[in-house]
Amino acid sequence: MSALIEFDDVTYAYPLPGGGRIAALREISLRIEEGEYVAIVGANGSGKSTLARHLNALLVPDEGRVTVAGLDTRDQAQHAAIYRTVGMVFQRPEDQIVASLVEEDVAFGAENMGLPPAEIRARVDEALEMVGLSEMRMRPPHQLSAGQQQRVALAGVLAMRPRCIVFDEATAMLDPAGRRAVREMMAELHRAGLTIIAITHFMEEALDAQRVVVLERGRVALDGPPGTVFADADTLRNLGLDLPPAARLARTLRQHFPALPAGMLTVPALVEALDALSHHDVKLPTAPTEPSPVASAPLIEVRDLGHTYMLGTPLAQRALEGVTLDVREGAAHSLLGATGSGKSTLMQHLNGLLRPQEGTVRVGEYALHDPQTDVRAVRRMVGLVFQLPETQIFEQYVGDEIAYGPRLQGLLGDSLRQRVRWAMELVGMGFNAFKDRFTFALSGGEKRKVALASILALRPSVLLLDEPTAGLDPASHRELLTHLQKLKETGMTLVLSSHQMEDVAALTGHVTVLDSGRSVLDGRVTDVFAQGEPLRALGLSTPVVTQVVEGLRARGWTLPPGLISSVALVEALSRCLNS
Amino acid sequence: MNDFEFLRFVTIGQYLPTGSIIHRLDPRARLLAGFLLLAAVTAAPRWTGLVIALVVVLVALVIARIPVGYALKGLLPPLPFIVFLAALQILFGPRDAAGTSLWTWGPVFVSAVGLLNGALLVLRFAALILALSWLSFCISTTEIVRALDALLAPLTKIGLPTHAFVLMVQVTLRFLPLLALEAERIAKSQASRGAEWGTGRGGLLRRARQALPLLVPLFLTGLQRAENLALAMQARGYQGGKGRTTTVELRFQWADVAALGLSVALATLIVLV
Repeated sequence: MSALIEFDDVTYAYPLPGGGRIAALREISLRIEEGEYVAIVGANGSGKSTLARHLNALLVPDEGRVTVAGLDTRDQAQHAAIYRTVGMVFQRPEDQIVASLVEEDVAFGAENMGLPPAEIRARVDEALEMVGLSEMRMRPPHQLSAGQQQRVALAGVLAMRPRCIVFDEATAMLDPAGRRAVREMMAELHRAGLTIIAITHFMEEALDAQRVVVLERGRVALDGPPGTVFADADTLRNLGLDLPPAARLARTLRQHFPALPAGMLTVPALVEALDALSHHDVKLPTAPTEPSPVASAPLIEVRDLGHTYMLGTPLAQRALEGVTLDVREGAAHSLLGATGSGKSTLMQHLNGLLRPQEGTVRVGEYALHDPQTDVRAVRRMVGLVFQLPETQIFEQYVGDEIAYGPRLQGLLGDSLRQRVRWAMELVGMGFNAFKDRFTFALSGGEKRKVALASILALRPSVLLLDEPTAGLDPASHRELLTHLQKLKETGMTLVLSSHQMEDVAALTGHVTVLDSGRSVLDGRVTDVFAQGEPLRALGLSTPVVTQVVEGLRARGWTLPPGLISSVALVEALSRCLNS
Repeated sequence: MNDFEFLRFVTIGQYLPTGSIIHRLDPRARLLAGFLLLAAVTAAPRWTGLVIALVVVLVALVIARIPVGYALKGLLPPLPFIVFLAALQILFGPRDAAGTSLWTWGPVFVSAVGLLNGALLVLRFAALILALSWLSFCISTTEIVRALDALLAPLTKIGLPTHAFVLMVQVTLRFLPLLALEAERIAKSQASRGAEWGTGRGGLLRRARQALPLLVPLFLTGLQRAENLALAMQARGYQGGKGRTTTVELRFQWADVAALGLSVALATLIVLV
């Protein structure tokens, strides 16, 4: 019996513009059986996406052989059958939708198969039912959230009734609720007998699979069940990866409490193991209260802010309603909320890209609700790093890109060089090593750092970051967090929005939660994350430390609810556990 | 107030599903009626026809339950352009045979004919923009694609690749709003880096140079999106129109025939009076 997908000594190289080729896959041999659930992980440049594209003949090998259900992908005549066997959901939801109506988009693949109309309609109904979007069938896809769009794309694949579905970083751009929904769909389809292949940067998603394949520079470095692959943290780190957050916490806890068993990868496993240890109830003070800040006026003060897009047209859309926000100088403040909750709109008010329609916004000495205020001065003081900022790079050389802003400010010659050098060093890029590099040839993480440096070069005293770590691989993610931490230590005020609760817990002191354009929760990060249930209802989640505390409290432990760092958890546990 | 909402008062290309009688017509009837009206406005030789056309469009807007004020705002963005053209027409347009002038100053010469031509031009553009807005308020991009597909289907018999053409239209229509949003995002982002959008300063040449940081990323992301879409379509087995089926069947009703008949009559009237 042959496997559903079989790679036999596959080598593939991308042709370079100036001639020559760059190797992406090297002598890969891999068998994926019918009904398996496989996660494929690896750092940027490890060949994950190239491998994914070989799974359904979007790319064909230079050397070696790929067979899908026994069909050789190099045989053009078999491609239609291969596309029907292996479906694919891509990373960017809005890029893979063809039609301007949900149900027509779902029908697209089935129409390409040349099925009779009645059959297509039946399949479209069934597929929409499966992804839970039957009510949305007559809506234009751009009115749906990113998570829903991703489910539309999945429905389009399901309508072709494939035996295998590949998810190529399909959750990378989604908020926690959207990600949860897609992960649940993957598990459900697997139970229904489909083969699922998930390519991901999120190690906790790899845990859902039965088998994890780790790639490194075009080769298979590790291949086995999650328990085996995630057993060795140091090897993973060398491969540019990381443990899943819960496993990382388990490792830290085991260093302090050796009685804990090895190989715990999930929050429930960790809670179970801790609860099994002998412990006693102690009265612990609720989370240590920080010294309350001196009664100075906040640096950023937003009061009753309201905003409507397309105001005065029938397409008007309410984006913000009565929003209140205080950010103190030198603080790190997070904005949380599902996609479309108004985080980006609020941020754009803080540097004058949008002016208040209702309410007031004051940043330092500038009152943005006053039409006389010089917005350029505000923009110099408040730097905004947009989501996926690397897509806005336009210069050929790294140095020129970073110099763009300061040059517009009138800096020249040596002072300009100094400024660019300073900004590059803040993000850990050597001036001499990088200034003359081509921007297009950088890796994803490097491009992100160039984009960040190009804002820092303006010497803002406040930095706004919209989803700063989205789409980065674990190593670049870790590195960027370190740089942001350092910026915070220089006294820069940070305001960031993120779907990564671990980042929020690690970086910020205060949190404001937005829901449908209103600020619904606000406070210290410890207090906000203590409210797990309301947060989940808003489509958000909490960091793993908080989840563990919540699990233990549910089992009667008297831990204070607002713990977010592993250090605080270790300290609290050492008081409860009988050694 | 908000300098970045590029699309705020661009009414062409906005679909408003009001569910009116017009919206319930067969998309082919709506598309053909719209084209007839546009052709008639373009061809109308006299101002009487244009005034009738303007009235017809306004009535059609009311029947389609579109707020007329909103539709009229769509005239604002192209207004400077139209006024400029009209001024050219008045100042440098053809003179009448008698050469009577109302006002002269050096080479500048304003005649009654020139004024009339200028007024006609303004009227024609206003009617054209309103008619085009009306059409896009009343027909969604999906319906345009369906209607085109059905109307062009006979041409496949003589070997024309109509399906590829229709798909091209469809993808363009779907990606235009995305590109507009992308442009807005990039403009905002470069403005945060000190570029001067939304501050109302800078001369023509400066503005042209400012466009570079906008155009390069827009072009690159556009290409990237196109590549992603091509891959996604290939993965869903798209191999051209060959062997494709479709789920949609359109049927002409009496109301559609009546609407078409009415548009033919009105278009004839606009051109002939």
